[in-house]
Amino acid sequence: MTAYIIRRLWQMVPTLLGVIVLVFILFNWVGGDPAYVLAGKISNQEQIDNIRRQLGVDQPWFVQLWIFIKQVLTGDFGASWSTNEKVSDILATRLGPSLTVLVPLLIIDTLLSIGLALAVAYVRGSLTDRAVMIACTVGLSISVLVYIIVFQYFFAYKLGWFPVQGWGNGFWENLITYARLPILIGLVVSIAPNLRLYRTFFLDEINQDYVRTARAKGLSENRIMWIHVLRNASIPIITNLMAGLPSLLLGAFLIERFFSIPGIGREVILAVERSDFPVIKALTVYVAFATMASNLLADLMYKAADPRVQLK
Amino acid sequence: METNNAFMRMPKTPKRRRASATQALAAVVLAAVAFAAPTARAADMNKVIRHVFPAGEEGFDPAGAHDLYSGTVEQVIFETLLTYDYLARPAKLVPLTAEAMPQVTDNGLTYTFKIRKGIYFTPDAAFKGVKRELVADDYVYSIKRFMDPKIRSPWTWLVDGKIVGLDEAAAKAKEMGSFDYSAKVPGLEAVDRYTLRIKLKQPDHNFSYVVAHEPMGAVAKEVVEAYGDSGGRVMSNPVGTGPYLLKSWTRSSKIVLEANPDYRGFVWDFKGGSDPADGEIVREMKGKKMPQIGRVEISIMEEDQARLLAFQNGELDLMNMEGPLAPKVLAGGTLTPEMQKKGVKLSRFVDPEISYHYWNLQDPVVGGLTKEKIALRRAMAMAYPVGEEIRVVRNGQAVEAQFPIPPGVNGHDPAYRTSVKYDVAGANALLDKFGYKKGADGYRTLPDGKPLVIRYASRPDSLWRQMDEMWKKTLDSIGIRMEVQKDKFAELLKLEKQCKLMMRTASWIADYPDADNFMQLLYGRNIYQSNNACAQIPEYDKLYEQTLKMPDSPERNRLYHEMAKIIENYAPWRLDISRYRNMLAQPWVVGFKKHPILRAEWQYIDVAGRTN
Repeated sequence: MTAYIIRRLWQMVPTLLGVIVLVFILFNWVGGDPAYVLAGKISNQEQIDNIRRQLGVDQPWFVQLWIFIKQVLTGDFGASWSTNEKVSDILATRLGPSLTVLVPLLIIDTLLSIGLALAVAYVRGSLTDRAVMIACTVGLSISVLVYIIVFQYFFAYKLGWFPVQGWGNGFWENLITYARLPILIGLVVSIAPNLRLYRTFFLDEINQDYVRTARAKGLSENRIMWIHVLRNASIPIITNLMAGLPSLLLGAFLIERFFSIPGIGREVILAVERSDFPVIKALTVYVAFATMASNLLADLMYKAADPRVQLK
Repeated sequence: METNNAFMRMPKTPKRRRASATQALAAVVLAAVAFAAPTARAADMNKVIRHVFPAGEEGFDPAGAHDLYSGTVEQVIFETLLTYDYLARPAKLVPLTAEAMPQVTDNGLTYTFKIRKGIYFTPDAAFKGVKRELVADDYVYSIKRFMDPKIRSPWTWLVDGKIVGLDEAAAKAKEMGSFDYSAKVPGLEAVDRYTLRIKLKQPDHNFSYVVAHEPMGAVAKEVVEAYGDSGGRVMSNPVGTGPYLLKSWTRSSKIVLEANPDYRGFVWDFKGGSDPADGEIVREMKGKKMPQIGRVEISIMEEDQARLLAFQNGELDLMNMEGPLAPKVLAGGTLTPEMQKKGVKLSRFVDPEISYHYWNLQDPVVGGLTKEKIALRRAMAMAYPVGEEIRVVRNGQAVEAQFPIPPGVNGHDPAYRTSVKYDVAGANALLDKFGYKKGADGYRTLPDGKPLVIRYASRPDSLWRQMDEMWKKTLDSIGIRMEVQKDKFAELLKLEKQCKLMMRTASWIADYPDADNFMQLLYGRNIYQSNNACAQIPEYDKLYEQTLKMPDSPERNRLYHEMAKIIENYAPWRLDISRYRNMLAQPWVVGFKKHPILRAEWQYIDVAGRTN
């Protein structure tokens, strides 16, 4: 196991190098030159050159790339080009609000999707199954933007069940007061595709011989579904869950903007709008790290879920 | 770290020692009295104004931040020597930290400001327990910061090339690697503790406006030394002398200001103008000690719907209504019956800004001053339906700009009417006359037979997609093929400053309410800076240079009329629109009237009878 983990960690190095080079090329190709924005309404070439010199964008490309690599190695991405705030401070302060919405959302969504998928898979072909599938298809067809606009208007403004927007200072205040509607919208959006996907995984297992054998042995339906079927279907579910984990670091762009949540998703948009390369670099590298780490974690969890899996 | 005494440090003789001891004793007594005295704060900490910004702020260093929203907050934390009268229209300068308007001598070359005594910075650890008075040296220091290459101030242009010796100090800083703040600048002098003298290289009739611009607010050297970041900026620890201080800040999310307990305050005593609403404001506010508002909470909400619903839900007290939202609360120029029933108040006026479509006069296809190139630009200008843009794209929240100087700005002529009228037939005839022949596909070619394609540059968002469609329709109507060049704002700005765009729509809002701020946009020497049409029209430049030597006067206005005609004749621009500013205020907000130049009005208003 340890050897496997070390080998996988080593394999991350070339992947990360690829990410660094790709981000560097993409930003320098389409990222824009922030010096002209930072220079203000009226500026001359001398002032623009001074800004470019201070940002280091007048350096040869290989020097800039080497600086990027050093930043990744040290984990110090410097300061934002537009606000001069330390990138580490930006990420540290924005991650909390995003996670306050996204972690409960992920947990509730996973539990509900698995429970409902098991239930409808059990009654496959029934009216309930068909109704749920139609509802899922309709739900999937509607843009997240529509959900946000409609829910914010009706549930927050018209009915007054939630605040229209906002964010407080305490974790519990935010979770209980401000995060409820964003979580509800997130659930409505994410539950339909997950439920459909997990139902398929469960249906694949329900028709297996071991289920018939378990029934023949007289096991209860609850035990068959929640223990045997769920465990055997867990590998694709883990894959799906782990693939979604890195997105926690990116926040929820639209929800954060509409509900004025000071999360990382809003910061990403701002950074792109301002061509704030240090912030973009840091986020991209962190998400790449998180993706590789969650893939490794998924592989380890396969082994825990199914002893037949061999880690090589 | 130095204290305020650093500014007054002198060698000590025995006589001076005695004087110093007396001064020190007096300072201790004064400080004790000042600290022991009951607070002079008029503000009621239970009175809260909740405001909204539609975009995030950068930070609160007057020399460092350059966005509108940072400037709005800076304006109530830092104080300039001059400001604007809250109610006077057109905008009128009045003293703020200066005792009076400046003495202008030497044929307009020397400005002398007397600073009011007894104005103090908000107590801060940077002052090490000493009550820190605002002195002339603070303005000297603050102005020098614009030229410090390390700060890379976006406001350098306010003083660049204007003050005797300042450019030389900046050049030396570049050479030495750091700005020497202790070196004397001949044109920037604290004559004594309360007297600031500024000597200009040439007369500038707008220099008083420059001094009133919020980046010119006074910062304390000790604060910069204590909190300055690697770029020498103090973006998150603003310490000023103004009516409010920064209580808490979650960047791009929430800014909370509280009334400055050490602020000297003032009595509300503004005179109303011809606006009927002024009478009520004066009745409600006259004689009140200001500021009344104890706390200002500013939320940043980027989405239109969130802002509007929050306002309608009573979560916001003040809100600027942008064009896309207008039809939801405005019927024409007034509030909808539903909003009127709620008692919502509207402060509406045409912003001191212009939008204009420009053509790059250095571009090989549309540029140049030859007759056929002028004809091409004029034809495009004539074919553009400004009225339709106002109706369809701007939701009626704009007026057609007739004159390059917008309303509310010295030199504006409300009676002036542009000679460029919407006339598609005339535009087609003009192109026919100058040899722009139509091919079999219905599109024209250049007089020499080469393809004629106009490249319109715009940003990739919904407003600019609508503008792309407006121009596509316009150019189709005169048989000109169009391509859209989409790019991010930063990249468009870069290409624009390098004179590499063919055509774009730009806008300019007044930094100060004088015509020069707008007419300089086509001055030939401003190419690669603010002259985005890259225009060099000798007649225009000659007249512009004459206007620089003249104060606001009928003679100067006459020259501006001639310059407006030159713009219409050579067509580097098609003047487009000036937008309405629609500020909504809840019924409990008292005394609010949006000022065309001032960013923030919180120190001039009150709340009464809040229902939530």
